[in-house]
Order: sequence, then C-alpha cells, then structure tokens
Amino acid sequence: MQTKEKRIFGKIFMALAIIFFYLPIVFMVVFSFNDSKSLTVFTGFSLRWYETMLKNHSMMESLYVTLIIAVVATVVSTIIGTITAIGMVYSKKWVKRFIQQVNDLPMMNPEIVTAIGLMLLFITFRIERGFTTLLLAHIAFCIPYVMLSVMPKLRSLDPNLADAAMDLGATPWQALTKVIVPQIMPGIVSGALIAFTMSFDDFIISYFTTGQGVKNLSIMVYTMSKRVNPSINAISTLVVVFITIGLLLANIVPIIREKTKKKSQQQDGTFQKRMGKGPKMVIGLLVIVLAISLFSYKKAAEDNKPFVGQTLHVYNWGEYVGENFVSGFEEQTGAKLVMDNFESNEQMYIKVANNESYDILVPSDYMIQRLIQEDLLQPLDKNRIQASLDLLDPNVLDKPFDPGNEYSVPYFWGSVGIVYDKRKVDIEDLEKEGFNIFLDPKYKGDIYLYDSERDSFMMALKALGYSMNTENPEEINDAYNWLLQCVQTMKPEIVTDEIIDNMAQGRKALGLVYSGDATYIMTENENMGYFMPTQGSNLWSDGMVIPKNAQNVDLAYEFINYTCQYEAAYDNSSYVGYTASNMEAQDELAEGEFAGIDSYVPRSGNPKDEVFTYNENTRKTFADLWSRIKVAASNAAD
Amino acid sequence: MRKFRQLTIPYLIWALVMLLIPMALILMYSFLEPGNSIVHFRISLDNYFRFFTDKDFLVILWRSLLIALKTTIICLLLGYPIAYFISRCNEKLQGILIMAITVPMWINMLVRTYAWIGILSKGGLASWVLSLFGIKDAELLYTETAVLIGMVYNFLPFMILQINTVLSKMDKSLLEASADLGADKFQTFWRVVFPLSLPGVVSGITLVFLPAVSAFFIPKLLGGGQYFLIGNVIENQFITVGEWNFGSSISMIMAIVMMLLMMLVRKLDKKSGREDM
Repeated sequence: MQTKEKRIFGKIFMALAIIFFYLPIVFMVVFSFNDSKSLTVFTGFSLRWYETMLKNHSMMESLYVTLIIAVVATVVSTIIGTITAIGMVYSKKWVKRFIQQVNDLPMMNPEIVTAIGLMLLFITFRIERGFTTLLLAHIAFCIPYVMLSVMPKLRSLDPNLADAAMDLGATPWQALTKVIVPQIMPGIVSGALIAFTMSFDDFIISYFTTGQGVKNLSIMVYTMSKRVNPSINAISTLVVVFITIGLLLANIVPIIREKTKKKSQQQDGTFQKRMGKGPKMVIGLLVIVLAISLFSYKKAAEDNKPFVGQTLHVYNWGEYVGENFVSGFEEQTGAKLVMDNFESNEQMYIKVANNESYDILVPSDYMIQRLIQEDLLQPLDKNRIQASLDLLDPNVLDKPFDPGNEYSVPYFWGSVGIVYDKRKVDIEDLEKEGFNIFLDPKYKGDIYLYDSERDSFMMALKALGYSMNTENPEEINDAYNWLLQCVQTMKPEIVTDEIIDNMAQGRKALGLVYSGDATYIMTENENMGYFMPTQGSNLWSDGMVIPKNAQNVDLAYEFINYTCQYEAAYDNSSYVGYTASNMEAQDELAEGEFAGIDSYVPRSGNPKDEVFTYNENTRKTFADLWSRIKVAASNAAD
Repeated sequence: MRKFRQLTIPYLIWALVMLLIPMALILMYSFLEPGNSIVHFRISLDNYFRFFTDKDFLVILWRSLLIALKTTIICLLLGYPIAYFISRCNEKLQGILIMAITVPMWINMLVRTYAWIGILSKGGLASWVLSLFGIKDAELLYTETAVLIGMVYNFLPFMILQINTVLSKMDKSLLEASADLGADKFQTFWRVVFPLSLPGVVSGITLVFLPAVSAFFIPKLLGGGQYFLIGNVIENQFITVGEWNFGSSISMIMAIVMMLLMMLVRKLDKKSGREDM
C-alpha cells in the first residue's frame, strides 16, 4: 500500500516537473500567435509576428548564423578532438597531462571568464571580431567536450590494436580510419552531439567574441529583449518546430530501418550497434539545415542599382528605425544594410575605440564632441549633404558640440523629462518638487530610473540647481549623494528600454525618460503624462557621423541623405516616437499622429535647459560614481 | 605507435593560442593599470585592492555565491527525487522521460528565459496561479525570486541527468541484498543507494553551481537593471564602463574563488567515498 502511494506521489511530482519544463515553451508558442503585443493576455489568433519576423532579415540571418556556426564548429571540433585524443594515447605523459589541464580551463572556468579571455586575445592581436572570430571561439570551447567523450572509449581499447592492423599490412592511415575510428564511433558521435548543442545554445562566449553586426540567435534575443517584441516568440517557435522535427525523425528513422532489416533477415549485431546513433544524428542535422536554408533569406540580384553587392555597417541605438526603413534603403540602393545596436553611448565608444569598423554611427551630442576630439571621425563633404541639411529643422543644426555640422548630421532630437501616471501622481507635487519628486517618500517603490550615467547626474544636478555641465567636485558630490539617497530610500528600478513597455502598461507611477519614449508611451496609454521641470533639462540630439575607419564611405553618404528625406524621417519618427529632424515630417507628425502629445516637440525658451558638453575628467567621475550607485542600489534592494 | 604521437601537435599549438594565452592575458591585464600616453603600463595590485576594499563589491560577490548556493540546493532537492523516480521506471519509460527532460535543453537558453518574462510579469500566468491561493497582485518579475526561478529552470536538467546516470547504472541486486539483510526501505536508501549515488550528486552540483555563480543574462532579463550579480559587474566593466583592467581582476577573482570551491567539493567527495569503504 505504502509503495503504491509513493508511486502516485512520484508520478504527480514527475508530471509537475514536466509541466515546469514545458510551460515556458508552450507559453512562447501560444503567444507567438497572439494578435496583440501583450505577453500576458491572449487577444486573438494572428500570424502578424511571423510576418514581422520574415520581413526582418537580420532575424532570419541570426538563425542562419547560429546554424552555420554550429554545424561547422561541430564538424571541425569533432575531427580535431578525435585526432588529438587518438594521438594522446600514444603520447608521453607530460603531453597528456598538459592537454588535460589546458582542456580543463574552458570546462572548469566560469563561461564569462573564457569569453573575456578570447575577447582580449582578439583585441590584443588586432583581429577584427566578426564571423571568423565567432567560429574560432566556438571551435575552441567545443573541442574539450569532444575529447572528454572520446577518451573513455579509447581507454577501453586495446593499445596494440593499431599495431596488429599494421602487422596485417594496413597503412597507418588505414589502421586509423578502418580500425580505431569505427571502434570509438559511439564516443565520437556523442561528442559531436554535445558540441552541436553547446554551440547552438551558446550566448556568453558569442556575445564577447562577435562583431560587425554578426549575431546568433542568443545575441539577437538579448539585444531585442528590452522591449516587448512577440516576433522573438515567433522565431523561437520556428526553432522549436525544427528541433522537434529533427528529433522525431532521428528517432523514427532507426525504427523503420530496424523493421525493414528484420524483414530481410540480415541482422548483423555489431553493425547495428555501430550505426545506431550516427545516421540518427546526421539525418537530424540535415533536416534542420535543409529546413532553415529553405527559409533563409536570399536576395535576388538587382543589376540596375548603384550599390549592388555592397554592404553598409551601421551602429545605431536599438529600436531606432521605422518598419520599412531598412528595406526601403536596400531597395533604393541595392546594397545590404547591416544594423548593429547599442544601448548607451559608452558601449558604442568602447567598440569604436577598439577599432571595430562601422560606416555610420549615431552617437549623441557630447559623444560626437568626444569622437571629434579624439580624431575618430571624418569631416563631412558638404557638397554631398548640403541638400539634405536644408531639409532639417534649424533648431537642431549648428550646435556647440559640432559647430557648422562639420562632422555630424542630426538624426533624432528631444529632451529628457518625467513620465507620470496621471491617476497616481498629483500634478502639484510635480510642479512643486520637479526632479526632487524622485526623493519624495510618497512615491517610494513606484519609480523608474534610467540606466544612463549622464542623464541620472543631469537629473540630480538640475534638482540641486546646478549646471549639468559642472566641473565643480563639490557639486558633483552633492549630486552623487542625491542619487545615493534616491536609490537607498526610494527602491527605484534602474532600467533601460524596458521602461517604455512598462510605463505604457502603467506599472509604476513615475519614470525618467527621453521625450521620444514618452511620446510612444503616451500614444499607448492615455493616462500617462510628460512633465519637464522648470529646473531645466537636457536638450539632446543624436547625429549620424562617419568614422575614420569606415569601409564604404560612398554608401555612408547615401545613408545620410536617405535618412534625411521626408519619407524615411516620417517612417522612423512615427514608428519610434522620437522627434524627426526633417522639418516637414516633424510638422506633419506634430499636427497629425502626435497631436496633443506635448513631449513630441521639445521645449524652447527655458534658459536652464542645456546641451551636454564633453569633458574627460567629469566623464570618468560620472562613470565611476554611477557604477557605484548601481551597486549600492543592488545592495539596498535586499 | 610513435607516428600517432604527431597527431597531437596541431592541437598543442591551438590550445596554446586559444586556451592558454587568453588566460594569460586576463592575468596580465588584471595587474596592469592604464597609464597616461607616456607611461603605457604600470604593474600594480590596485585593481585587486579596489575590489577587496569596497564593501559593495564584496556584497555582490557574496550575493552571487548565495544565490548559486540556493539554486544548487533547490536543484538537488527537486532533481534527486525526479532522477530517482526515473531510474525506477522500466527501461522504455526511462528513455522517454530522459528524452522529455533533454528536449528543452536543445532550445536556446535565452529564448527559454525570455519566455519567463511573460509568465512572471504582472497579470501573467504566475500571478494568476498565486491569486488562486489568495495572493493578490503578486509582483514576481524583477525580484530575486524571478532570478531564482530562472536559474532553477535552466540548470535543473543538468542535476537530474547527472544523478540519473549513476542511479540507473546501479546494480539492482544491491537493493535486494540490503533488504535480505533486514534493512527497511529507508535504511536501504540512506545507507546504500544515496552513498553510491554521490558521484552523480557531486558532478550535478558542479554543473549547477558553476554556471549559476557567473550567470549574467538570467539576472539581467528577470532581475532588472538594479539587480547585480558578479557576472553583471564584469559585463558592465567590459561593455559599458570600459575599465578592462579592473574587469580582468574581477574575472580573475571569480575564477579563483570557483576553483577553490570546486577543489573543496572534490575533496569532500573523495573523503565521503573513503569513509563508506
């Protein structure tokens, strides 16, 4: 009786475990068919996210990259791993020990350490990061696992086997391929399988070793996960389907073959055993490869366009272009546009300073100034862009960080302010306290800060009545203490782009946001308002620049001119919510789609509003202090 | 077979370049201080001092170890019964159950973690389930609980598979012998089965604890921007702050702490093994 009860308990437990494992997967598949953007409420069946996914060729390409890397890395690492393992059996002890110790490094070290080591290797030896480095890194961490699964099989093998084969007249090559390898086949196959899984799944090592906009699935999900984007669910569902088909086939095919074999009465035990797993996996892999290459985006050659066959590398903010922007540019020029995204100016700077080459960057004001100072940008040829500059709002041209627009052409611009829930926040509090509302205990636990050292310090300095470009250490220290008090007493969440969807859903009462994000939030949720404290704020602008090491300058100019046109500017601005630099697009949106949304047109006339300037010393101080504040916030949450 | 010895030469060179030099570089960077444009490098221990004298960093390291420990314990408590249950099923069912646990691992970790965002967010499935138990408006996303769920979800299969490998290979006649000698079920389990499964438990612990300490996308996706683990600190140093020397020294510290812990676990494993003999 008791055992039976135990079994029932066990069965329930097991069932719960299976539910736990499959819940997120089922959830993902279901919500990939959701009609709305919501991840919590299913509003109806639709295929729109699949459409978005198929249109977005960088998503499809990430799938392709993941697969190609996994297949090549598996093949190469299996071959090298097996050969080395065989060689080790006959090697001196110190060689064995050395290889084993070195192989332990990627297996016993935290993955992030291996990743950073490889990144430092590529950067120190000036190897540009991209597809090749990604592949090399994957091969590097796969080989030890292959060897780990081949070695036990080799150890159980008679060491004289090869000699015996050669005594019987086999060449060393034959002894290797005809005698040893078949004996250790199960080990090789399971090694290959592990290698494939590891490579297919890898995020951390890929994240640090890739470049030039080459992304695998993991990196793409990571960079896109900031904002709710159900097309991630769609592409994941695609992966689930491929893998299920692959696994099913891998398990069904051997059963069918076994049956046919039994019929023909030609059973050969060892053959059966040897071939059992090999073809299984090969077939599984082939199915996946075929399925994905069928889906993979192939561009038809268009001969009459000026830039056919060329590629433009753009390093831009995440979610900063309209739905048809990339395809429109590609259609007009015939070139391919690879867009890599960053989350902060600082993140962009590190890559650029490390010589990673892009044709176009879209940094903010102070960062443009810094790049000019450090001689990383090309001066622009006015003859090629003057017509475009004439289309732009004069308010955003000829700014102090780049007088006369010698280096940069404005992309988006705006302000920084407070987005608030009209139902929860008393407007009088905002008017009275301005940015100090972020210290008001009334709103404890109900605020978002934005993870930007510049704008957090801007907020603190403005709240204290200082200039945001101050170099006075005391004022900076006051601002530091202001922020410290905020994170220690107010329990804020420090976010980046997650703030957009979260505020649109009304999760918190207050948040520090960029005006463009506020515009988007307010179109989604009418209860939200945008407030700019009279204490002053940051009037920023982001501009397109061409770095010195750009590889396709002609195409870069083409990009600048394309972006400045009315159609592209309108598409970008209406989709993202940021203020267009193109005058016509801006006017039309301000009176049309975004009518009544005061965050769309930046405020003018407040003398306390400023533009950031670059100063190396304060930058270092801000960076250091902000990382301290984040650490303190993390520790205050306990 | 001397000729076969040469087969290791390509890999020796490869391992030197791709595995050994990267580690040496981290070590080197961790002792260097970025100089001005005249003095390029200065060797110093400052990066290490900075870490160990700053209470905040130590708290984060401690928190990372603690959450990895919690993850490991939960994985062990959940994983052992599951592995045990599977090992007691008939062979065919065992194959199916193992398969069922392995399949999700084929699907990208990030993708699966991303799926939890929807489940855990306000108004999502998790808060609906909790409301059935009378807990209203639970906010799970961007809390430590969310991070813990994400970690257990990602690493539990490793624990189950490791323990199950050992349990399913165990000679069933041992159980009969134990019963014949008068031990009850409970005694048989604690005196016979559990000690014999320890190697699986140890390798399971290693496979869960190690990635849990250094995880950085699970806390970032499910814990929010203000939830920092040591992996996030390292990522932050390399990707946004740009202080690679300090980042290298934190990486080094983490690698050493992990190595010491692993050595400890292995030692305990050996000790307990000997006592049982």
